[in-house]
Amino acid sequence: MTEVVKTLLAAAQLPASEAEIAAYVKGYESQRAAVDALYDVEAARYVDPALRFRAGARIIPWASAPAR
Amino acid sequence: MTPLTVTDAAKALREGTTTSVALTEAAIGAADARDPEIGTYLARFDEYALERAAQADAELARGEDRGPLHGIPFGVKDILAMAEGPTTAQSLILDRTWGAGKDAPVVSRMKAAGAVITGKTTTMEFACGMPDASKPFPVPRNPWNPETWPGGSSSGTGSGVAAGMFLAGLGTDTGGSIRIPAAFCGVSGLMPTFGRVPKSGCVPLGYSLDHIGPLARSARDCAAVLEILAGLHESDPDCVDAPFTAPEFTGDLSGMRIGVVREHHFPDGSDPALAPSFDAALAVLAEQGATLVETELPYWHEMITADMITMGCEALAYHRTDLLSRWPDYFVATRAMMATGALYSGADYVQAQRVRRVAQDALAGLFETVDVIACPTASAGAPKVEDLAGPDGQPDVGALFSLVHTPYWDSVGNPVLAVPMGFTGDGLPLSLSLAGPAFGEAAILRAGDALQQSTDWHLRVPQPVAEGVA
Repeated sequence: MTEVVKTLLAAAQLPASEAEIAAYVKGYESQRAAVDALYDVEAARYVDPALRFRAGARIIPWASAPAR
Repeated sequence: MTPLTVTDAAKALREGTTTSVALTEAAIGAADARDPEIGTYLARFDEYALERAAQADAELARGEDRGPLHGIPFGVKDILAMAEGPTTAQSLILDRTWGAGKDAPVVSRMKAAGAVITGKTTTMEFACGMPDASKPFPVPRNPWNPETWPGGSSSGTGSGVAAGMFLAGLGTDTGGSIRIPAAFCGVSGLMPTFGRVPKSGCVPLGYSLDHIGPLARSARDCAAVLEILAGLHESDPDCVDAPFTAPEFTGDLSGMRIGVVREHHFPDGSDPALAPSFDAALAVLAEQGATLVETELPYWHEMITADMITMGCEALAYHRTDLLSRWPDYFVATRAMMATGALYSGADYVQAQRVRRVAQDALAGLFETVDVIACPTASAGAPKVEDLAGPDGQPDVGALFSLVHTPYWDSVGNPVLAVPMGFTGDGLPLSLSLAGPAFGEAAILRAGDALQQSTDWHLRVPQPVAEGVA
């Protein structure tokens, strides 16, 4: 698992120290198993994700939007 | 004796038995006495607050009444923009020009309601992680026992309410950051339904998880603040047009069905006082007319995992550029959480959002059979600050979340009210969570208020008592 974690961190260019990587590795196996378990949720097989893209949406700056 | 709650202070202001200036001076006195020890504030606005308090007194004297928060000392977590000072997110990283001179919509709404903002309160860096004493910021401590942690990430807002530095304040919650400090500090904290309160003007942690809400002594006070915060703001694409009106707080829970959840909430290491405190609180709710039914939460483990994936990925997207160039400037626990985002795939993230949808649906089905769900917020009192790191010196978030049961609710987006329900043998607060269906804040606030009409856990004040507003 150490090499997997190192590879993923390196791919993201995150400069974690050896001590930090060791700590991340310690939790990685159970963390990965928990993530994999999400693919076993049968009820999610044909469900749309809680993500939506809206064509035509505009960015409205929060500090200049009309006060309410 | 100064009032303990927003509700009582508002009444006293209108009866003429106190003034906003007197409340604010008391709050400042409490901060002078305890802030150096417990690290509630990152920035204090004493002069500004006294000016606002004098203005509130003058307005009230003229009959210009802006509602229950008018003239009330109020804290704002320093992850929300406020024109009177820079937002730091308790971090060396955040550009101090971010939001400079501007108010987040929630801050703007609190100002318009006449709240007297006394300062910006401490947080865990960027609203996640744990304290890092090597960084030039206060290490937040718990007013009930300064050797212990007040919880986070809305640490200062929780400790400030408990220690009488203000009567209510704002926190944010992505994995428990309102409810954990509410629990550990012995105050009430409300995470509203996702989207009910605009989160623009808040430094993001998890775009699809972040909630802004109040901490205060009582459920009734949280309701008063939510009335001000809730409502559409076009700048937040997640915000919906769902204003909130507080229900009538009669204390009568007749007809209310409360689902009692014990599974997962009493692990090894639970405090011996947890079960009797939980059962006693449930008994009070039953005495007020509620019907109790044992139940279980669907997709418990999956929603905790979904919170972890979603927060890690969304936070990493926001922070990756800074993490590459300024890794050592981040708190150790902050960068550890954000680095997890690199350990998931894009498909993992999307799958988490699919399972969130499934869990939301299943939970909505459960809420067709009960009106409120009750469970402990945490299984123990506040941990010691020195115990937050593991034996290897790295932050031990896993150990903390084995005893804290909040992330499930961020993933599903339902509202949750945390209210005090007793103390450990060591004198540390214990907390009850009351969760409702989406946009069902009224029911959980009614239940919390009913409990507080029959108990005084929420009115207990940590010693030493400063001459504050508590």
